[in-house]
Amino acid sequence: MSFFGFDTSRHNPAATGFSQAHNPFAGLSNREDEGDALEFEDTYDGLGDQLDETGDAFNDDTFGDTTVFESKPVGKDFDFFNTTAKVANAIEEEHVRFTRQQPTARSSQTVPQAAAPAAFQHHAPGSSSYGHYSQLPPSKPARTGYEKYSSEPVAELQVDAALWGVAPKKQTQAAVPSASPAPMAAAPARKILSLEEVEAQMRAQAKKTSQQATPSPAPPVAAVPSGSQTQVPPMHYDQAYQFAQHGQPAQHADTTGHDQGAPAGHGHPITILQRPTSKPAASPQPPTQPAAHARQQPSGPIHPTQILQNPNRLSGDAARVGMHQQSPHGSYPGHPIHRQQGSFSQQPQIITHPSQLSQLNEEEKAAYLDQEAKRAKRNHKIFLMSRDNGIMTPQDKSFVTRIQLQQLVAATGNPNEHGTDESLTEDFYYQVHSQIQGSQRQNPNQPLNNFAQTYLYQTGSRQGGMRRHHRGPENHMQRMEQQVQRAVEAAKNKPKNKQLVIEGSLGKISFSNAKTPKPLLNIKRAENPTEAHRPSSAHRHIDHVGDRKSDLRSIESIYTTLMKMEDHDRVMPPPPANDADTEAIQTFVAWNSEAQILNNQLWESLRIHDHPDNGVVHPFIILLSYTKGMKAMQRVSRHLTHEQRTTILTLILVNLDSLDVVRGAQVTPDSPQPNAAMRENVELFIVAVMSTLFNILNELDLDLVAGMLGLVCSRNVDVIAKSRVGASMLTMILSRAEIIKHGGGGSEQAWHSWDVTHTQFFDLIEPSLPHTFPGPVTTSDDIYVWQLLAALGIGASPDQQQRLVLAVKDRVMDTVALSKTLPQDLAAQRLQNVNLFMRSIGLDVELLQ
Amino acid sequence: MAEPRDETSGTVSEPLDLVRLLLDEVVCVKLRGDRELKGRLHAYDSHCNLVLGDVEETIYVVDEEDEEDVKTISKKSEMLFVRGDSVVLISPQTVSF
Repeated sequence: MSFFGFDTSRHNPAATGFSQAHNPFAGLSNREDEGDALEFEDTYDGLGDQLDETGDAFNDDTFGDTTVFESKPVGKDFDFFNTTAKVANAIEEEHVRFTRQQPTARSSQTVPQAAAPAAFQHHAPGSSSYGHYSQLPPSKPARTGYEKYSSEPVAELQVDAALWGVAPKKQTQAAVPSASPAPMAAAPARKILSLEEVEAQMRAQAKKTSQQATPSPAPPVAAVPSGSQTQVPPMHYDQAYQFAQHGQPAQHADTTGHDQGAPAGHGHPITILQRPTSKPAASPQPPTQPAAHARQQPSGPIHPTQILQNPNRLSGDAARVGMHQQSPHGSYPGHPIHRQQGSFSQQPQIITHPSQLSQLNEEEKAAYLDQEAKRAKRNHKIFLMSRDNGIMTPQDKSFVTRIQLQQLVAATGNPNEHGTDESLTEDFYYQVHSQIQGSQRQNPNQPLNNFAQTYLYQTGSRQGGMRRHHRGPENHMQRMEQQVQRAVEAAKNKPKNKQLVIEGSLGKISFSNAKTPKPLLNIKRAENPTEAHRPSSAHRHIDHVGDRKSDLRSIESIYTTLMKMEDHDRVMPPPPANDADTEAIQTFVAWNSEAQILNNQLWESLRIHDHPDNGVVHPFIILLSYTKGMKAMQRVSRHLTHEQRTTILTLILVNLDSLDVVRGAQVTPDSPQPNAAMRENVELFIVAVMSTLFNILNELDLDLVAGMLGLVCSRNVDVIAKSRVGASMLTMILSRAEIIKHGGGGSEQAWHSWDVTHTQFFDLIEPSLPHTFPGPVTTSDDIYVWQLLAALGIGASPDQQQRLVLAVKDRVMDTVALSKTLPQDLAAQRLQNVNLFMRSIGLDVELLQ
Repeated sequence: MAEPRDETSGTVSEPLDLVRLLLDEVVCVKLRGDRELKGRLHAYDSHCNLVLGDVEETIYVVDEEDEEDVKTISKKSEMLFVRGDSVVLISPQTVSF
């Protein structure tokens, strides 16, 4: 009951029990409220002066008999939130019941008053409510109260109506009656002032107060009712109402004159205070109707709207709409009272008329309060969340959405686009332009792209009759959904062309979307590992011209193959014992085939069949210039067939004068000895290669030997003869023929061809014979020359023998002479060598001595 | 020699394959400790362990008194095993006949 005990700042919005204590109507009746009420009175200015605030004694006179109302204690827990639009039905019910229970006209008066606070409560939280409310009174009965929305697509704002389950129509009803009462405010019979009038007065006061910057009169007022019972208010109302009217006649008139709608909307904040006053005044009058209408207002969807709406935007909207209350709207937000109420508004906003509560039984009351508490909580939450509401106007949202949709469509692209108009089709602004202008597309057949279809048509229609829709906001939402849906569908239907390859370009242009972001780099790795070896292979190709590394590589490959073949030889299976042993046969065949493969491999690596250009030494011959090449020959010949070996021999003979060991080891009696390395090579060649060749040659028939000799004749015999290797080769061939002759082999024809060849050869070599000796006569290592001479002499005709003797006679005589000066052993050795030749021609060194 | 030949078994796939080409060739081997070897390469392995024949070893010694003066000491070995961790470099020796 104590008004003083109420701390507005601490007011707990969720506290259900609050309602009774804070009965605003009761507060006025209490004289003790004065101190706290002072602010409140200041707010009202005129009212305070006219009231006798000095004592409670006159309260009864002023407010009526409070005792009547005190029968039922209101309590401190009066809940202002009791009346909420959400609980419209409940409130209605309350009101009806209250009205019935109040026997006098006063009760009827009370009803509107009670309703007024409720309405006020709704609007209080966001000043926006004022704007909205103000629209109701305007003398446009037909209006639904949604006019401002209809002007613009304020879908978000309106959505709440449905949420709250309250039909907007009620608003209409409320508005209709409100319009008429407004004028009444100016009328002499002020006591019959309608709710709107009262509110108008309050608004006027509020303005005034705001100018004075007087703080928070409202809260205290709310607390006032503490002492009074629920029934009290009616009494107070009358008086308070009168006060208000008396104190602010001028202002009131001014306000009303300003705009009709204003009073209702603006009066609200102060309505809390005024309502009590108005009540008594109304008592004589029967403003029941307006009251009823007013009652209904709270029930309407207004409440949610208030919460969601942004005050600023609302004012802006109102301004745009061109409503009457523009000026008041602007001023209101800054008003102290308003602020107070704003803070208060966080608490439960709906105030049911206290008397209503009183009418309920305990059970109902408890249930009701509980319900109210829940609602209050929810409202509070919504309020907190709604702080940022309205930062963007519906237009802003629409604009942003438009842009987003455009981007979405642009990102997904339109595969249907084609032709020269593609760019135009894709151009958002062009589409807008064409839509606005209503111009035809250049090509009727050209379909608008998805975006244009989905969005632009909508936009265009929006320019037209869309606004006529009362459900404009809702339609807006629908449109959004449709647009998004279409955009998504368009994206789905779009073929997956993730890449665009422009002819002649070096790369691909890849599109990106949310699922597959555009790869900034598209590097393909070289898949061909052999690429890495290209340089070396290219290098090798150059090597083939005959450089050292290539030769070495060939030799290595020969050795590799040789080792494989030798390994393979070790695993040679035993030859199948009989034909029945198929397994052994198969194994043997497999081994043979493998051996054949290896043989081919070796033959390849020997490069026998290479045919070098003129002037270039055959690769195989070059291989023989390497010591390891020479060393390989013995092993190679072991794995070659007879034909292959013959071929090798032939090749060597054909290129005999090209051999390093022949060409680089030319010796003449006058020239110095070749260097040690060459001598080594020659020795190695003789050991490694000559023996092999000797074996090969020993397998040949006479005709082939004759052929070999013929091949040698085609070469530079002089060079060959002057080298130890060459001379040895010649000796080898000649001796082979002699062996065949001794063996009785060879056909007549072969011998004939041999004789011819031998004669030719003899003619070629005869001039070189004197120069074939290595170094002067003192050189001991000349046995190979004597061997050659002996070979020549054996097969020579008597005439040829004579020529031989003439050719080497000097050397023979010098050697014999030298031998006499030499030690016994050396002399014998030298004479022995000479004797090889001498005996071949039927002579003996002994004869010369 | 005119046409390029595909030598499957003679390809160079690793550095040591180049060393292989020097088998039975005279090579110059540079060793740590200011030593050089020159000889015929008989064998090697993946650690660059080498077997050299007819080796001429040259050791470069800096005179303690006169830093400018560098003496060389030569040794000859018929056969030499060189541990790979001391091998710095292997190069073919151009053989001049």
